[in-house]
Amino acid sequence: MSLRFHWMLPKGGEVGMKTAQETSRVLTTKSTSKASLPDMEGWLRFSHCAEDAGIESVLMSFSRYEPDTLVIASALGQLTKKLKFIVAYRTGFMQPATFVQQVNTLSGLIDGRVALNIVAGSSTAEQRGYGDFLDHDERYARADEFLEICHAFWRNNGEVIFKGDYFQVESGQLSTPFMAPDRNAPEIYVSGHSMQAERLAQRQGSCWLRLIDTPENLEPLVMRHRQNGIEMCLRLCVICRPTRDEAWSAARALLPDDDTEKQERKILNSSDSQTLKQALAKADEVGWLNENLWAGLVPFYGSSAITLVGTPVELARAFLEYKAVGITQFIISGWPKLEEMVIFGREVIPLVRSAERGAGVRFLKHYEI
Amino acid sequence: MNLRFHWMLPKAGEVSLNGPQTPREASLYRLASTRDGSPAPRPDVAGWTHFGKSAEVAGIDSLLVSFSRYEPDPILVSAALGQTTTKLKFIAAYRSGLMKPTTFVQQINTVSAFMPGRLALNIVAGSSTAEQRGYGDYLAHDERYARAEEFLEVCHSFWRENGDVNFDGKYYRVEQGKLHTPLFAGASQIPEIYISGHSEQAEQLALSKGTCLLRVADTVENLKPAVARVRERGIEVCLRMCVISRPSRAEAIEVAESLLPQDDMGQYERSVAVKNDSQMYREASEAEAKWLSPLLWKGFVRYYGPVWTTLVGSFDDVADALLEYKEIGVTQFIMSGWPELDEVRTFGSEVVPRVRRAETRL
Repeated sequence: MSLRFHWMLPKGGEVGMKTAQETSRVLTTKSTSKASLPDMEGWLRFSHCAEDAGIESVLMSFSRYEPDTLVIASALGQLTKKLKFIVAYRTGFMQPATFVQQVNTLSGLIDGRVALNIVAGSSTAEQRGYGDFLDHDERYARADEFLEICHAFWRNNGEVIFKGDYFQVESGQLSTPFMAPDRNAPEIYVSGHSMQAERLAQRQGSCWLRLIDTPENLEPLVMRHRQNGIEMCLRLCVICRPTRDEAWSAARALLPDDDTEKQERKILNSSDSQTLKQALAKADEVGWLNENLWAGLVPFYGSSAITLVGTPVELARAFLEYKAVGITQFIISGWPKLEEMVIFGREVIPLVRSAERGAGVRFLKHYEI
Repeated sequence: MNLRFHWMLPKAGEVSLNGPQTPREASLYRLASTRDGSPAPRPDVAGWTHFGKSAEVAGIDSLLVSFSRYEPDPILVSAALGQTTTKLKFIAAYRSGLMKPTTFVQQINTVSAFMPGRLALNIVAGSSTAEQRGYGDYLAHDERYARAEEFLEVCHSFWRENGDVNFDGKYYRVEQGKLHTPLFAGASQIPEIYISGHSEQAEQLALSKGTCLLRVADTVENLKPAVARVRERGIEVCLRMCVISRPSRAEAIEVAESLLPQDDMGQYERSVAVKNDSQMYREASEAEAKWLSPLLWKGFVRYYGPVWTTLVGSFDDVADALLEYKEIGVTQFIMSGWPELDEVRTFGSEVVPRVRRAETRL
């Protein structure tokens, strides 16, 4: 099977931003940020470029700083034809029946081009603003029940009955089914680095979504998940340039000022998410995880900013190494938001595809020489 | 101020080239929309867009998108149709107990940002006990209203945009709630909020948290005191009704009669109506008289439910009746007809101009 490449949908206004520094998390979470406003024009341009670049889906992130993901997909999906949407949602904010009704409706509105990224929660402060007062572990227990009920609706064989610690449903019925050419339920990406997240992915998901690490570090994890029948998808950033020097100088140019760094560290330190803690530790302790994988941007752009830096051939080779250990999907972002994706589609994907067609990793090694 | 006319969004599949053609076929399609095998639960963007454009031409202000377990989600349907129409507004119906108010506001604000000033809400406290439990809601009728009150209180706090939202109630608790995506409501700071229901609690909720009380049409005489009471407190009144207007009253009555169930048809729908614990449905199943006034017909109500109260008459009859409601203080109407597309076109070309001419004279 060919590797599947997805991309992060830029936040509102980011498609038109001139510098990467404007997209730092400190700035996009300010109340004056354009990130809070839907950017139909920018998103459409981005979506059409993504379709041309060979990107399968865009991931829409969920937070109190941004517009609602299910609504964006409903609107944007009317104006695109091929692109799929991976909609991030947190499980504690609505009844599972309501959520299924919305997801199924969305599938019918956009020909089934929807997948889910289920997140158990975020920082305690943000969760409480949504009226959710459970702690980290309980949020995972609730997410498990939530998805259990969702699956019962998607199986679509009779009324749904459920009695758990967090949800109760009696004779649940929804007439609107999940509608897609080839599926009766959406693909479900479960993200998070804690043990609970991994277990949730195994029990209720179709794919575990986590931050990129070196192939060696990931190999044992991948084995464990693939044996249980679920895929693994990596979240990463890329910087691809014709030469290594150009790539490295493009990477360095993304470092922000000291003030932004301080504020971003404060956000990362206050979170109770395992993912954020681990990512920050990586950035501080090592910087480079291997010759192409750089954690240096994490303190400024958040935990998902671990970045593959290199030439097209180096990057293609790196992706094939991940494929060799069993990874099947990637969700990528880069700077500038639009141009980096266009470069990736033009330079990297064709190399990966031709290697997949038969030449293999060795072909790329020769190619470089 | 001119009367505002809204229309029900037809069920999915109703408006299409091969859809129901006669009033009778259309009404049967509607009645069967909750049964297994109906195409109504499957979103129909092409048919809806076709209807929406016709409604815009007809001078219709908004489409009401209803909520039930038999239909697609109204918030997302509104978001999608907002992209395929340009002027039309949408009144999205939602039940207040099914998501957190913060999440609800985030969704509503997002839809409004895609279509500024074109989204209103029809907040419903609940439906039948059986349907509510299927959504995981186990509160009784009165408690559902108390919860709706808190729900809208939290929503209003977010819309006031006056710092973090803090709320500690019986049903909801929010601590330092923040949402960055604002509401795009046009001139006003909150969306229009229609509260529907016939119980005292519904009226109270409309007065304390809504902008308009939405109720089923009744005679002018019966409505007069309630409308006056509500208007005095500063909110509007909108009537939900069906309309059958034809060149002559006799033709209209003939169409109406053709829609009545034959033999045991309608039994299923009636059993649905009786099980419901809403006041509006209880009143409806008790209704016996067919004609409430020379034009207002309840012939369908005992079979199909209260929203089938129908204004039947010639173009002039219907226009005059609407203007009589205007005189007692009613300002808005949400209509349906059979087939929806034909009736909205007739209404737009024949009834609306008559009403507007009379309004100019007044």
